[in-house]
Amino acid sequence: MASTIHDKGAGRPVGLRLLDLLEAARELLWPARMAPLTPWLFLLPAVLLTGLLAAGLIPLLDASLRPLDRATFRLAEDYALGNYATLATRPVYGVIALRTLMAGLIVTAATLALAFPYAWMMVRTQHAWLRKLLLVSLFLPFFIGQVVRAYGWLIILGKQGLLNALLDGLGLPPSSLAFTYTAVLIGLVQYMLPFAVLMLAPALTAVPVEVELASASLGARPFATFRHILLPMARPGIVAAGIVVFTLTLTDFAMPEIMGGGGNDFIASAVYDAFFQLGDAGLGAALGIGLTLVGSAVVGVILAFFGLGTLGYVEGREERS
Amino acid sequence: MTGSRKAAWIIGAIVAFDLLFLALPTLVVLVASFTPGTIITFPPPGFSLRWYGNLLQARDFADALWRSLQVGLVCTALSLPAGTLAALALARFRLRFATGLQIYLLLPFTIPLVVSGVGLMLVFGRLGWLGAVWPVGVAACVINLPFMIWAVAASVNHLDPDLENAAANCGAPPVHSFFTVTLPAVAPGILTGALIMFILAINEFLVSLMLTDARTVTLPVLVYNAIRSIITPDLAAVSVVYVILAVAAIWLLDRLVGLDIFLKSKQG
Amino acid sequence: MSEKTFSVSRRRLLTATAAGGAMLAAPWAWRRAAAQEKPRELIVRAWGGVWVDSLNEGVSKPFTEMTGIAVRHDLTEDNEIRPKIWAAVDQGRVPPIHVNWDTSTNATKSALRGVTEDLAGLPNLKEMLPAATPEGFDGVPLVNMYSYVYVLAYREAAFPDGPPESWDVLLDPRFKGRIALYDDGIGFHPVAQIAGGGTMAGVPGDMQPAWDFIRKVKEQQPLLGEDPDFTTWFQNGEIDVACTILSNARAARQNGIDVAWTVPKEGCKVDTDGMWIPKGLPGNELHWAKEYVNFAMSQQAQQKWTSGLGLPGLRPGLTPPEDLEGDPAFPTSPEDFERLLSVPTRVLVEHESDWFQKFNEIMQG
Repeated sequence: MASTIHDKGAGRPVGLRLLDLLEAARELLWPARMAPLTPWLFLLPAVLLTGLLAAGLIPLLDASLRPLDRATFRLAEDYALGNYATLATRPVYGVIALRTLMAGLIVTAATLALAFPYAWMMVRTQHAWLRKLLLVSLFLPFFIGQVVRAYGWLIILGKQGLLNALLDGLGLPPSSLAFTYTAVLIGLVQYMLPFAVLMLAPALTAVPVEVELASASLGARPFATFRHILLPMARPGIVAAGIVVFTLTLTDFAMPEIMGGGGNDFIASAVYDAFFQLGDAGLGAALGIGLTLVGSAVVGVILAFFGLGTLGYVEGREERS
Repeated sequence: MTGSRKAAWIIGAIVAFDLLFLALPTLVVLVASFTPGTIITFPPPGFSLRWYGNLLQARDFADALWRSLQVGLVCTALSLPAGTLAALALARFRLRFATGLQIYLLLPFTIPLVVSGVGLMLVFGRLGWLGAVWPVGVAACVINLPFMIWAVAASVNHLDPDLENAAANCGAPPVHSFFTVTLPAVAPGILTGALIMFILAINEFLVSLMLTDARTVTLPVLVYNAIRSIITPDLAAVSVVYVILAVAAIWLLDRLVGLDIFLKSKQG
Repeated sequence: MSEKTFSVSRRRLLTATAAGGAMLAAPWAWRRAAAQEKPRELIVRAWGGVWVDSLNEGVSKPFTEMTGIAVRHDLTEDNEIRPKIWAAVDQGRVPPIHVNWDTSTNATKSALRGVTEDLAGLPNLKEMLPAATPEGFDGVPLVNMYSYVYVLAYREAAFPDGPPESWDVLLDPRFKGRIALYDDGIGFHPVAQIAGGGTMAGVPGDMQPAWDFIRKVKEQQPLLGEDPDFTTWFQNGEIDVACTILSNARAARQNGIDVAWTVPKEGCKVDTDGMWIPKGLPGNELHWAKEYVNFAMSQQAQQKWTSGLGLPGLRPGLTPPEDLEGDPAFPTSPEDFERLLSVPTRVLVEHESDWFQKFNEIMQG
């Protein structure tokens, strides 16, 4: 399937002529001497789109520095650190933050552990039907949003739910998982699993099967092959999946809201409450910005620790830049 | 040999668990949608298409579904070029401030959606964009863009740099080698990313809640608002509509390019 | 002043009605036309379920029949529409809705922020009880429409000996993990104050009894949710007792769910809901939004709307629904209100969010 570079001349296919046209346009708008800037040009659309979000943070940062005046329900004219002081002094925020961070770690670990074998089998299986089954099973629940899936879980985990009917049938005591921290974690892992598999699969595809086979034929035990061959080679995918799952869990709102029964709030719940229940945009903004800083710091540490290898950058190769 | 058999057994068990784990809530909701009663229960006390009838009659629902599809299309159309190009830039070039750039581009995931919603409402309000459907698509693209970037970046591993270099050495100019070598190589990532973006866009409710009004409400927002007062099985019926859409999309994709495209580039 | 403006516009209305009919042929044309011409539709924010159904039957449908203006209901939550309206007014945009059906407390917050239109001079306002008009404002930024009571709802099967007599039932070990409250504790703070041994005079100054009682309730592992959750939880056998608004309990019962309600000896919190119109609407839309609110106060609309909700309207001479006649949760006379716990709206406006935070602090701990 690899396209070959044809000689220029008559009889070039339409597709290539179109490319010639594009090439000419590029030459005009982006001459070769601009080449060193090409990566920045490539980044521009994504940076601008994300810029919309960053622009939204500016009025919120401003709001976070103004306490609410309950006589007019407007934020104060003068800057003050009252909202941040509230965050620091109310122990409840510490409790919620800790709960959220714990969830981030547990969900990330559990999701990766469940996703890795799935992705591996999907990539390595010789059976086309199995690969198709695994792919379809991944995509179908994907189409159902978080809210509906949460209600599905409540039916399963509820006091009179499927799980208890099953336990009852087996003569075991009933569980009451619904509306607990565990329920929130279960819901989150299930929600994150397809994302993680889809991030891992390309990375695993990139590991040539021959390397695995060679390792095995040299007498390496499966775990050793996993640890010394698969894990390092698939690292970009693992780190990508880990960052995605961790940050999304950290900022999740719907799962704790629906599956937590009200007593298992995450930070995003507190942000929501501040904005909507209390009508205090300043406090909500302070909380949200705090959470963003924590999430960004964690991402920064991971990236610093694993270097740029996380994004499939091939170490030591200085590209055209 | 026993070691690898044990390993195969463990992997098989985990994958079997995964399959059940992934399917269970969906199945429960699908079956529950056929209840004749007024509340989501499992197993349903009987079989009825009552809630589907309700959906078919609800003009609001059809309008909202149509808007959600528009949102999905706008989001995917924007993220395809933006995400792919950004991923290539990040993965193929050693950039200054790369870590800072990564953190910036991950803002959509590190900012809680409630904050993104309020922030985008203020920005879009200033820009005079509110009141239309397309800005909701822009928002869906913005808040999920890292998925597109990372999906493509992860598959850059497929891209053998020697191939690109070879193309360049053969005198292939940049646009040619971009379209004939680079893009086909990362196609699985692009497709995966595009599908994720579309799915997330048609399911997005928290940010959309801030950006829509009664005339531009999307389906997930409609559902979200409805369940704030009463939870009826039409929620489940809506999901079935989505699953039917999903099955159709997956079938079509399989027929057109084959599902393996998600795993293997067509190159080489 | 505003009364005069309104009566002028009312006269103009008559001519506009005829013009409006013609405008319907070209639905977009009214945007460019002068004030008072009929908009194609009005958007009224409402709560879903029994709430929007009652509003539709009692107010919106008859309004549409009368005026030809369609009414679209926006089911965005009251808390969630508020920042949208506030931002729209701040940025000088047209607000997303024409009429906000809102809690009196939230409506007052918006009024204090100055995003509400003055409703003084609406003809039907004179017919309403004094409680319909909020105190302490120059004009009338919102109109209170009816009262409602946060009752103690319970599953009858769990109380074979009759309804619980006291809110203490929440502390009964039998019901550990089987009780439910609103997730911000709304409707429960004053009740907890009395049940915890305090007095209403201690609200808001000394609410320690309330917090002590809520801490004990926390030990009982309550579920925290919103209107739909209570119904689902009762239906699925998750809970036996909840503090919820009468309308929800009544709707659940009418749907065949085993739910009854009572007003325990400590009393129940009573509050009001109202309607208001956000600033920033084009002149003609404002005019018709006012017509809508005015119509919601009419005898006909009040009767049907509040009967559907099972709540006492703030207009004298309404007939209570049969099933609620004499029910202490359906207060009509001053004596009925005596038995309930009422907190002035201004106190709620100033302090309720602190109570939410305090409640949340206890529950998340």
